[in-house]
Amino acid sequence: MRLKKMHPVAIMTSLSILVLVGAFLSIGVGAVWIPPGAIFNYFAGVEAGGDGYIIENFRLPRIIMSLLVGTGLGISGAILQGIIRNPLASPDVIGITKGAGFAAAAVIILFPSLPVIGLPIAAFIGAGLVTIGLYIFAFKRGVQPATLALVGIALGAICQAGIQFLTVKFPLETNAALVWLTGSLWGKDWTDVWLLLPWIVIVVPVTLFLAPKLDVLSLGDDVAEGLGEPVRKARLLLLIIAVILAGASVAVVGTLGFVGLIAPHIARQLVGNKHIYLLPVSALTGTLLLMVADNLGRGLFPPTEVPAGIFTAVIGAPYFLFLLRKMQKS
Amino acid sequence: MKKTLFSFIMLALILVVSACGSSSEDQASEDTQDESSESTEDTRVIEHEMGETEITGQPEKVVALEFSFVDNLASLGVSPVGIADDDDSERIIEPIREKIGDYTSVGTRKQPSLEVISSLQPDLIIADMKRHKDIYDQLSDIAPTIILPSLAADYEGIISSFETVSKAMGMEEKGEEVLADHKAKMEELRAQVPEDEERTVLPAVVADSGYFAHNMESYTGSLLESIGLKNAIQSGDERYNKINLEQVVEFNPDVMFHMVAGDQTVVDEWENNELYQDISAVENGEVHEVDRNMWSRFRGLISSEKILEDAINYLYEE
Amino acid sequence: MQHISEQSSLFKYKWILTFFCGIFVLIASFIASLSIGAYAIPFADVFKLLVSPDDGKAASIIHTIRLPRAIVGMIVGACLAIAGGIMQAITNNPLASPQVFGVNAGASLMVVAGVVLFPGLGSSTLVYFAFLGAAVGGAIVYSLSSTGEGMTPVKLALAGITVHLFLSSLIEGIVLFHETSTEDVLFWLAGGIDGRTWADVRLMIPWSLTGLIGALFLGKGLTILGLGDDVARGLGQRIGWIRASSAILVILLAGISVAVAGPIGFIGLIIPNIVRKLMGSDYRVVLPVSAVFGAALLTISDVLSRFISFPAESPVGIVTALLGAPFFLYLASRGGRAA
Repeated sequence: MRLKKMHPVAIMTSLSILVLVGAFLSIGVGAVWIPPGAIFNYFAGVEAGGDGYIIENFRLPRIIMSLLVGTGLGISGAILQGIIRNPLASPDVIGITKGAGFAAAAVIILFPSLPVIGLPIAAFIGAGLVTIGLYIFAFKRGVQPATLALVGIALGAICQAGIQFLTVKFPLETNAALVWLTGSLWGKDWTDVWLLLPWIVIVVPVTLFLAPKLDVLSLGDDVAEGLGEPVRKARLLLLIIAVILAGASVAVVGTLGFVGLIAPHIARQLVGNKHIYLLPVSALTGTLLLMVADNLGRGLFPPTEVPAGIFTAVIGAPYFLFLLRKMQKS
Repeated sequence: MKKTLFSFIMLALILVVSACGSSSEDQASEDTQDESSESTEDTRVIEHEMGETEITGQPEKVVALEFSFVDNLASLGVSPVGIADDDDSERIIEPIREKIGDYTSVGTRKQPSLEVISSLQPDLIIADMKRHKDIYDQLSDIAPTIILPSLAADYEGIISSFETVSKAMGMEEKGEEVLADHKAKMEELRAQVPEDEERTVLPAVVADSGYFAHNMESYTGSLLESIGLKNAIQSGDERYNKINLEQVVEFNPDVMFHMVAGDQTVVDEWENNELYQDISAVENGEVHEVDRNMWSRFRGLISSEKILEDAINYLYEE
Repeated sequence: MQHISEQSSLFKYKWILTFFCGIFVLIASFIASLSIGAYAIPFADVFKLLVSPDDGKAASIIHTIRLPRAIVGMIVGACLAIAGGIMQAITNNPLASPQVFGVNAGASLMVVAGVVLFPGLGSSTLVYFAFLGAAVGGAIVYSLSSTGEGMTPVKLALAGITVHLFLSSLIEGIVLFHETSTEDVLFWLAGGIDGRTWADVRLMIPWSLTGLIGALFLGKGLTILGLGDDVARGLGQRIGWIRASSAILVILLAGISVAVAGPIGFIGLIIPNIVRKLMGSDYRVVLPVSAVFGAALLTISDVLSRFISFPAESPVGIVTALLGAPFFLYLASRGGRAA
């Protein structure tokens, strides 16, 4: 809203350029620093040796993952804030990520011999189960946005209690689970990219088609119904889409928090409330946020890897306070 | 095809992505060709927790992602090039640090840096079952990788891991020698424990946040049991248990080995309590502070010998 | 609330009955908590050893380990329940509670930061860190949730949980940098009372007593506040004064609990809701009865926590979460209206 002087398309272009610059920096940053020359050589097809291997197997998949996950969580958060009509809604808060986290912790701890691929599947199912819970407890009672949010928070609290129970009961197995529960791009490779890519690529364009529905819904139920919008159906459809995006992202990288909360906020500051712009810009800001967090995690204390989830909180908290001051003034 | 899909998201990034996507496949196939052409002589198949791994020749650059494997390599006279040492070389116990010399830290054991590992261009990576199972594929792509139990292993498990490591290193004979020496040494240590020893022992990590007891199935517990020192905790599903003073009193160990973490611990508070003073170990002056890195983190042959030497020293030669 | 005077005789009878039921449950769970543990002490002996301790082990265990732990548990339970009751009264919002309001997380972040940054500090100094954190956490949630057209349950819950998640991540980050031990993280995120000593009891008593007595005096004002600001003002209540002293009491009560036991959740949410359901919204009655029920619930939870991975200890916060989260769901599915 504040930056209305710039056309949304111009903002999207500049953000895309920023993402590209960020991606380029990310290729160089890490426990092993790669000079720009080697990066150019790699993309020019010149043999780059060990640096080439690192770029190809670790840096690029992580960059693409921040793109996919940032997009998934950013758009998911924007949709949820739209249908719940509250700027504080996000996939973390309404239980989706916690559901995935509980399922993943249960699988890691109770079935340690399950093949690695079982983890994302279980996490995705966990997110799905929370949605079914949301449907049973919130939608059956007239699907008020407030009820939806509250039930989501409560389901999240139940899952959190379950996670705590498991980690305390089985301390030895907890190590692996904790890495997953803080959420990071550590150890992500092309397999993970291919696992997540289809979900994002198929679902994100659909959300753009649904953007006008979100605009209508955010006017309030009465107005939306007056405009001939079947409110309940639209809300359910959008909720499912938000769950798919967040669930798939979290299933692959773990319960990475705050991207889905912060990214849409920054986007709203840039392009306002029109969802056809808000959604793609949320995707871009989400990508940038995650990329910065991951870079800090890799580059700040090498060779120690700090989970990106901690840096999203560290970056997010001050922004959140800034937001608070703004809201108080208005 | 990839390009068209991607253009939905963002035009600019496609070029980068598709460029690397295609080149990554090329490179990968080259890599596998390299490996198969090399494997002409002296190739062996090592069975481990995640399947089988082919190893050719004698690995020269080895990366160890748990301290156990550092110990194993040091026992074989090999210095690892990279170690996941939690970025703190102090965690590597003195006798082993002397043996292995310089190495590169590859970060924490929980999340070792794959980039640093690959930059070391190792011939063999040894990783832990509990911690590194999920990155087995990535590690295998860098170098032949074997996954063995360490974090969740007892003393027997540590011995069998050592045997696998020496096979993987192509040093089976040397390994057998080392193991024979180790077993002789263990026998010698065992002989110093009287047959009629009936005292119970309790090794525990003591920290500000609690008292974490190691039971008879834990590495330290099972090691002490192997020379006839019975653990005070013979029950419980978990090997490491947070217990309070009441439970220590109930288990009433005759000897306690405290691996101290931090300046202040719960035991400082307990010392003011009569109950603590009445515990057999405290009454008899058999509470011993020991090095946590050696007693709990290392879990290897050399450290096992050192632990028992420590223990026997405290118990019989004061 | 007119019905206070109308139904007064019946009402008095009911509240005395409920109060004594609560006391009875509290005593039963208190004895259970002294009796059950790694070293089993029969119920019959507990009372005897409590009044006339001998030199035996059982007497020592009761007097030096279980008794201080049980007393800390009761005080923490009572403090949290009263804090929750006061918050629900001033916000007129059944979801308000120290946990949902970010007060618990704020206090424990400050305590963790204090422990890490100034390792030499004693627990009596850390209490002030807890108060500061409680105040900051509560203030952030309050200002986030009371923008626009007032504080609705959903706004409060969203703001509270978001702040709670933020602060918890920061705690996790601090602990991760400081010491890689996972048990520490779990402890600081769940909260427990095992291993508490008489020193902790002594530390708690002045603060919690101040809080409890203050709450009793505040009861009338809070009840009238429930009728709406205008009515309250008409009845001669100084609204600003009531709100300010409520805030201070909440910070004292929740802060001291967190300083000693960590962020134990859901007690402050569940108990006042149940008590109000049983006896209406006269806070002169609701607050003391909540204190008794809160103490009882935490003591019962503490006994249950000993069975999770017997003989090892588990944080009591896990039990209160397992009990409290479904209740939260029940409140939520009613749209956050009072139960």
